[in-house]
Amino acid sequence: MNRTLTINGSEKTFADSQWPVSVADLLGKLQIDQATVVAEIDGQIVERNRFSETPLHHGQQIELIRFVGGG
Amino acid sequence: MTALMIAGKEFTSRLFIGTGKYASNSLMAEAIAASGTQMVTVALRRVDIDNENDDMLAAIDRNKYQLLPNTSGARDAAEAVRLSRLARAASGINWVKLEVTPDPYYLLPDGTETLKAAEVLVKEGFVVLPYIHADPILAKKLQEAGCVTVMPLASPIGSNQGLRTRESIEIIIEQATVPVVVDAGLGAPSHAAEAMEIGADAVLVNTAIATAADPVQMAIAFKQAVQAGRLAYEAGMAPASKKAHASSPLTGFLRNET
Repeated sequence: MNRTLTINGSEKTFADSQWPVSVADLLGKLQIDQATVVAEIDGQIVERNRFSETPLHHGQQIELIRFVGGG
Repeated sequence: MTALMIAGKEFTSRLFIGTGKYASNSLMAEAIAASGTQMVTVALRRVDIDNENDDMLAAIDRNKYQLLPNTSGARDAAEAVRLSRLARAASGINWVKLEVTPDPYYLLPDGTETLKAAEVLVKEGFVVLPYIHADPILAKKLQEAGCVTVMPLASPIGSNQGLRTRESIEIIIEQATVPVVVDAGLGAPSHAAEAMEIGADAVLVNTAIATAADPVQMAIAFKQAVQAGRLAYEAGMAPASKKAHASSPLTGFLRNET
């Protein structure tokens, strides 16, 4: 059965074999450098040192945020 | 020139730099270095999960520059608090430039939401530098709430109109017990010098440098203008008057007085 995550507002579907087991795994699959982002799951911040131990569940809202230039 | 203290940290440069709108990270890094700044602002945005994202922080030496994450994009207090917490989680830094700008056309700050957010953030241990309209009463309330500076705008963000709020900023400077940083709208080095001459403790500049034809040279121009303005303020400006006051002696003219 396929499961979904809403990542930065867009829904992503994962086959069981592709399901990311943790935040760190998700970032790896998306080819995003862990050191440069902060994550929020259903409105709760996940500290970077907990990325690999934080599991993901079907239907969660994930925000992946990074620093950009700004004034 | 005296140093500036904010929240126990010393700044010998009174020019703060925004990092938006640069054509490249390397140009940004060069302009930052040329400006002599010790404080740079950054923003938080969603990662683009379908494209490669460059890591702009890699271009900023965090041992050299105090990073000041902003809450740009926040439309109310709750969004600003959320962004501040994310910024702290992302950077480990608890300094935040608090900005709440519900109106996308003029990007003017919402004073009541800013105060509400500041009260929450100060309680949570953040070092809060709020961006505000040049409102002396609001500045006082934010100072009482525990903000470490107030940052009144010169004119709308990115407008390059200069110090349109001068009279109100003068009142803020007269009354504030925390440093006053003039932020937004300074489009030319002379605008920055003017803000410093009237006693601002520092200025924050982004657009005027980042979008100049030569941002590195413009960074140097702002650096010198800020230094000149501060030196003039500390030297004590000679008063203005309507009538002329001769600089040369009014005696010994080459004519016979009748």
